[in-house]
Amino acid sequence: MVAFSSFVGPFVPELLLLGGMLLVLLLDVLGVRRNETLATVALTALALAFLSILGDLGFAPLGVLATVGPGALNVAPAAGAAPLYHLTSFGLIFQAIFLVAALLVVLASSSRPSGERGAPIFYGLLLLATVGMLLVAVASDLIFLLLAVEVVGVPSYLLVAYRRGEARSMEAAMKFFIVGALSTVLSFYGASLLFGAYGSTNLFVIHAAAASVGTPVLVLVGYGFLLAGLAFKVTLVPFHAWAVDVYDGAPTDVTAFLAGGTKKIGLFAFFLVFLGPVLLVHPATAGASPFGGGPLDLGPTLSIALGVIAVLTMTVGNLLALLQKEMKRMLAYSSISQAGYMLIGVTIGTAPALTGATLQILAHVLMKGGAFLVVAGVAGLGIGPLIDDWKGLGVRRPLLGAAFALMLLSLAGVPLTIGFVSKFVLFSSAVQAQGWFIWLAVAGLLNSALSVFYYARVLKVMYFDRTDPIAAIEAPPASGLGAGGLGYGRAAAIGLAAVLIVGIGLYPQPILGAIQSAAQHFLLTGV
Amino acid sequence: MNLGELAFLALAAVAVATALAALLVRELVHTILWISVFFVDLSAIYFLLAAPFLGVLQLGVYAGAVTVLLLFGIMVTRKRIFSREAAAGLGPVPLALAAVLVIFLVSAVGQLPAGTTPVTGYDPSALSAALFDTYGPYLLLLGLVMLGGVAGAIYLVREGRE
Amino acid sequence: MTTLPESGFLLLSGLLLGVGVFGLLTRRNFILVLIALEIAMNATILNFVYFAAFAPHAAGLSGQAIAVVLIGFAATEVAVGLAIVLGLNRLKGTIDVAQGNLLKE
Repeated sequence: MVAFSSFVGPFVPELLLLGGMLLVLLLDVLGVRRNETLATVALTALALAFLSILGDLGFAPLGVLATVGPGALNVAPAAGAAPLYHLTSFGLIFQAIFLVAALLVVLASSSRPSGERGAPIFYGLLLLATVGMLLVAVASDLIFLLLAVEVVGVPSYLLVAYRRGEARSMEAAMKFFIVGALSTVLSFYGASLLFGAYGSTNLFVIHAAAASVGTPVLVLVGYGFLLAGLAFKVTLVPFHAWAVDVYDGAPTDVTAFLAGGTKKIGLFAFFLVFLGPVLLVHPATAGASPFGGGPLDLGPTLSIALGVIAVLTMTVGNLLALLQKEMKRMLAYSSISQAGYMLIGVTIGTAPALTGATLQILAHVLMKGGAFLVVAGVAGLGIGPLIDDWKGLGVRRPLLGAAFALMLLSLAGVPLTIGFVSKFVLFSSAVQAQGWFIWLAVAGLLNSALSVFYYARVLKVMYFDRTDPIAAIEAPPASGLGAGGLGYGRAAAIGLAAVLIVGIGLYPQPILGAIQSAAQHFLLTGV
Repeated sequence: MNLGELAFLALAAVAVATALAALLVRELVHTILWISVFFVDLSAIYFLLAAPFLGVLQLGVYAGAVTVLLLFGIMVTRKRIFSREAAAGLGPVPLALAAVLVIFLVSAVGQLPAGTTPVTGYDPSALSAALFDTYGPYLLLLGLVMLGGVAGAIYLVREGRE
Repeated sequence: MTTLPESGFLLLSGLLLGVGVFGLLTRRNFILVLIALEIAMNATILNFVYFAAFAPHAAGLSGQAIAVVLIGFAATEVAVGLAIVLGLNRLKGTIDVAQGNLLKE
C-alpha cells in the first residue's frame, strides 16, 4: 500500500477535481441540470482542492489536510533518476493561483440563469481544464508538460463553444482550435528535436546537458520551436493576433477563465522550459551582451530573444488597447500587454524577478479575471459592449463601479493595489540585475505610463460623462437576480477579487515571503 | 547505396508529394485519397525504421480511423469550399517565422552523422512494458485529453434545441 | 542490420512540418486545415520514431512510447476539430470561415 499512497498522495487535489467533473456529468445524465446545483458541486471540489494545497504548502491551520509531507517538497531527484513529475513549493503556489482563478469564475457563473443549457458541460470541462492546470505545475518532463497543457487546451476550445447556438462563439472556438493546434504541433516538434539532441525529454536531464556541452544548431532550433509554440499560448507578440478575436467571441465568463486562468499555464511552462538554460549564464556573464564574444550561446541568446519579445508584447498590446472602442477588446489587448511584464521574470531569471513575475500572475488573475466577470455581469444588466455605453455607471451602481475602478487602477499599477506591488518588485529586480536588463525596467515603466491613458478614459466615462436623463432611469433588472441583477454569486466573486486586490496591495509581506522562498528553491534546479 | 536507402528515398519522395497534393487539389474527395496514401507511406517508413508496432498503429489509427472520420466530415459538410482568407487569419508574420525556423532546421541537417547509421529495433513487449510502467503517466494524461474531447464533442453534435 | 541515412529523415520531417504549417495557416476550408494539422503531427511523430531508431537502447524505447501516445493524441484532436466543424455547420450551413465575418470589424 505504501507504493499506492505515495502515487496518489501528490495528486489528491487533481483527483478531487476529477471526481467533481465526473459527478457533474453523471448528474447531467440523471437529468439534474440546474445551474446552481452543478455550480455547488464544482465549487465544493475546487474549494477542497484549494484547502488541500494550502495544507501541503505548510499553512499551519490546515496541516491536517496535507497529503504530502513537508519533507517531500523541493527534493532533488536521485542522480540518474528521470522523474516525470516533481513536487516543488513553487509549483504548489501556482496550483493555488490556478485554483483561485477557477474558483472566481465558478462562483460568478453560479448566478447565471438556472435553466441555462450547457451548464453541465461548462462545469465539467472547466473542472477538467483545472485538473490539467494543476498537472502542468508538477511536470518535470517535456512530454508530460505538453500533454498536461493539452489537458487544458482541448477542454478550453470546447468551453469557448459551449453556447453552441451562438455563431460568434462557435467561430471563436474554431479559430482558437486552429491556433491551439498550431501551437501544439510547434511545441511537440521542438520537444522532439531536444529529444534527438539529448536522448531524453526529462527537464533535469535537458537542463544539465544544456549546461555541460556546447549548443548544437539542433538544440537552438528545438528551443526556437518551443518558444514559438508556447508563445501562442501566452499571446506574446507576434503570436498574439488570435487572442482578441477569441476573447471577444467567447462567452464572457469563459473569457475570464481564459485570460485569468489558462493563459498562465503557458507562463509556467516558460519557467520550466526556459529558466534552466537562461540560468546557465548566471552569475559570471549575467547581463553581458549575447554578441559579446565567441559563438552563439544558448543562455544569452534565449535571454535576449525573451527580452525583445517581452518589450514588443507590452508595447504592441498597449498601443492597440488605446485604439479600442469596445470594453471586451480593450481588456483583451491589455491582457496581451500584461503577459509582456510577466515574461520579464523569465528573461532575468533571478529570485526577485521570479517573485515579481509570480505576484504579477496572481495580480492578473484577480484584476483581469475580475474585470471580465464585471463585464459579463454588466452585459446582463442590459448595457452595451462599447466603452461609451458604460456612461455614468460609477454613479448609478457605486459598489460595482468602485470594484471595477479598483481593478483598472490595479492594472495601471497605482499604489496600494496588488498591481503596484507586483510591478514594483518586478521592475526593481530588473534594475538590481544590472546590464541591459535595466532597459526592461525602463520599457515596463514607460508602458505602465502609456496604459494609464486608456484606463483613465474608462474611469472618466464611468464617473464624469453626463448620462442621458431618460436612460438614467433604471429599469428593473430583467434577469430577476439578487444583488441588483448581478446575482449573489457574481457579486461575491467580484467583491472577493476587489478585496484581495486591496488586501494584498496593503499587506503583501506574507505572500511575498512565501513566493520568494519557493522561487529560490525553484531556481536551484530550474524545474 | 543500399536497398534500405533506396527504399527511404522513394518513400520520402512519395510522402512529400502526397502531402502537398492533399493540400493543393481542388476536389476534397481527392484530398482524402492523397492523404490516405500519405498515411500508408509513413507506416511503411516506420516498418523501415524497425518499429513494426508503430507501423501497424499508424495503419489502424490514421489510414483507418482518421481517414474515415475525415471522409465522414466531408460528407456531412460538403458545401461552399472556397473563401477569401485563410481560416487561421493570423496574417503573414507567423508563416514567415515558421519558414525561418524550417530553414534553420534544414541547416541543422549537417550536424547529424553523414552517411548511413545502423537502425536499432525493439521488442514490442519491451515497448508495452515501458508504456504502461515508466511512461504510464503519459497514457493517463492522454486519457484525460480524450475524456474532455469526447464529452465536449458529444455535447456539440448532440441533437436538441438551442 | 539495415543502415539508413539519419540526416535524410530530419530533412523529410522538416519538409513535412513546413507543408503542414503552410496548410494550417493558408487553407480556407476547415477540413483541409485538419489535414494540414495531421501532416504536421506526423512529422513530429516521425521525428520521435527515427531518433528512437538511431538512439542507444533505453532512450529509443522512450521515443517509441512517446510516438504511440502522440498518435492517439493527434486522433483526438481530429475528433475535436470535426465536432467543432459539425457544430458550426449545423448553425450556419457552411464551414467557410470568412463567410461569416462576425468577429471582424
